[in-house]
Amino acid sequence: MNIKTSFFLAYTSIKRGSKGTLMMTILIMTLAYVNLVFISSIFGGIVEAINHESINNQYSNIVIEPKIDKRYIDNKEAIQLIDTITGVVGSSAHYIDKALISYDEYNDGNNIKSGKWVIKSIDVENEKKVTEIHDSIIEGSYLESTDRDQIMIGKEIAGGHGGGLEHLSLGGILVGDKIDVQFSNNIKRTYTVKGIFSVKNTQVDQMAFITKKEMESILKVHNLASEILVKIDNIGEEDIYINEIKNLGLQNEDIKRWDELMGFTSSASSSFTMISVILGVIGTIVAGVTIFIIIFVSVVNKRKQIGILKAIGMKENTIIFSFVIQALFYGIVGIILGASVILFILRPLFIANPLDFPVGWVSLKVTFNIIRISNISLLLASLVGGFFPAYRGARESILKSIWE
Amino acid sequence: MIIEVKNLKKTYEGRVPTHALKDINFGIKKGEFVALMGRSGSGKSTLLHQIGLLDTPTSGEIIMKDTNLVLLSESKKAEFRLKELGYVFQSYALLPELTALESVYLPLMLLNIDKKEYIRKATEMLEKVGLGERIDHLPKEMSGGEQQRVAIARALVNNPSILFADEPTANLDTESSEVILNLFKKLNKENGQTIIMVTHEPDDKKWVDRVIWLKDGVIEK
Repeated sequence: MNIKTSFFLAYTSIKRGSKGTLMMTILIMTLAYVNLVFISSIFGGIVEAINHESINNQYSNIVIEPKIDKRYIDNKEAIQLIDTITGVVGSSAHYIDKALISYDEYNDGNNIKSGKWVIKSIDVENEKKVTEIHDSIIEGSYLESTDRDQIMIGKEIAGGHGGGLEHLSLGGILVGDKIDVQFSNNIKRTYTVKGIFSVKNTQVDQMAFITKKEMESILKVHNLASEILVKIDNIGEEDIYINEIKNLGLQNEDIKRWDELMGFTSSASSSFTMISVILGVIGTIVAGVTIFIIIFVSVVNKRKQIGILKAIGMKENTIIFSFVIQALFYGIVGIILGASVILFILRPLFIANPLDFPVGWVSLKVTFNIIRISNISLLLASLVGGFFPAYRGARESILKSIWE
Repeated sequence: MIIEVKNLKKTYEGRVPTHALKDINFGIKKGEFVALMGRSGSGKSTLLHQIGLLDTPTSGEIIMKDTNLVLLSESKKAEFRLKELGYVFQSYALLPELTALESVYLPLMLLNIDKKEYIRKATEMLEKVGLGERIDHLPKEMSGGEQQRVAIARALVNNPSILFADEPTANLDTESSEVILNLFKKLNKENGQTIIMVTHEPDDKKWVDRVIWLKDGVIEK
């Protein structure tokens, strides 16, 4: 094979061939590449939004729950030491109860709306380090540590804020309204709604929060916890911190990573990843077939010339390689232009204007891995799509190529 | 003899086999200008394709430089065509994206000759065929006669032992045909270039040293 001649033929063919065909081919390859990266990135963005909501509003990174036969985590010394572990951003202990919440809109005993929801207590300052609910207040304000007769509820309890479970809500509670809460131990209290929050997580939007002191007075406990959420610096290092937490003396507690608790959302993430892979494979095949057709047409149009080139002594490999170089050129230019479109146009556009999905704010998550896999896919598609028609054309007998 | 053909046969298989060449024997001396003539279907082009290594005969020998070329592998045949043979076809079949100069130096590139050297040789060859002023022109910017002269320059640039021409003037007007045949005669006389040319024009006899007449796959005279 004479590589120099292959490059020469490919270069002249690209430089002096039809500019319209060249532009169209490059446009198709660019779009094929954008399609590959965009689909993976948007699904990556959805999965990231789901994970973001789970970590920042529901589970944090690590969830500590009591031993199987116990209602509370009772190792008070160990609980206090969690925040001293290097890399732990904060921890927040919750009491959890299931309560009957009722709302009598006209205070006349008629048309009372009620439902059972999870009610949690929070240490206001600690909670701010662990979740972002304080940034998600849509009406009123966040709790303060001294609050006793105030409650903060999610939009799915309040109703009237476009939640997905409106029919189960209290029908449109406003800040300042009074609601009755009957705890599982039958203690009944009346609270004033201080704030209504909305996060992109239906489970959390179905929760109510009161202060730790208030809950302790109802449950008659002190400095215990039904669960502790622990926030760490680096997602992905949860197992290391779980070991450190266990070493504090919490060996028997049930300690889990956030992703172990995701359940439905975890399987949704896996499905999105699967769909993304399937669409990626289809996109790659389409790109390969496109290149195949382009090179095939080029080979058919140059059939006679290929015969002449063989007649003057050019080896088949040299001819095949010249077409493969052209195919790779289309692929490489498509990758460069496509990556530019993604990185300099679409990504900044999505970061500035994320899509409002039910699972969270979705942006393009363009990772090095997606770029690498898309690059390899398109190059392979170009290589295979370019090789086969060139091979067929170059293998034809000289006489057939020239005279038939 | 520069080339010797012994007992050459070519049969196209099919329901009814076609015996295109039947036991052909002849030799060509170095520096000869030979025409293969005959009626349509006589086997003249088939014979040129066999001895020009563009096709493989059913049986027989083609001896050149003490080698039976029929027995060479496809790769070796390609190498032999590149180094020893030159071709001019009825349709000039130049690559549309290559200038006259590039078309001519392409065979030299395949021989890995230094760039300066192959540009010099190709330019010289184009000047020899009277296209010194047209070296940067693309095929679409040249007449049929000029394109055929580029094809001749491409065929000769490697100094082939034999130049094969398959009806090189069939697509040209009388004036251009005259130019091409004059050029062949000049190359033959001045450079001693061996030329084997297929033609169906009886008038072309005047340009050549010898005519081999074919009829129904055999040499008539």
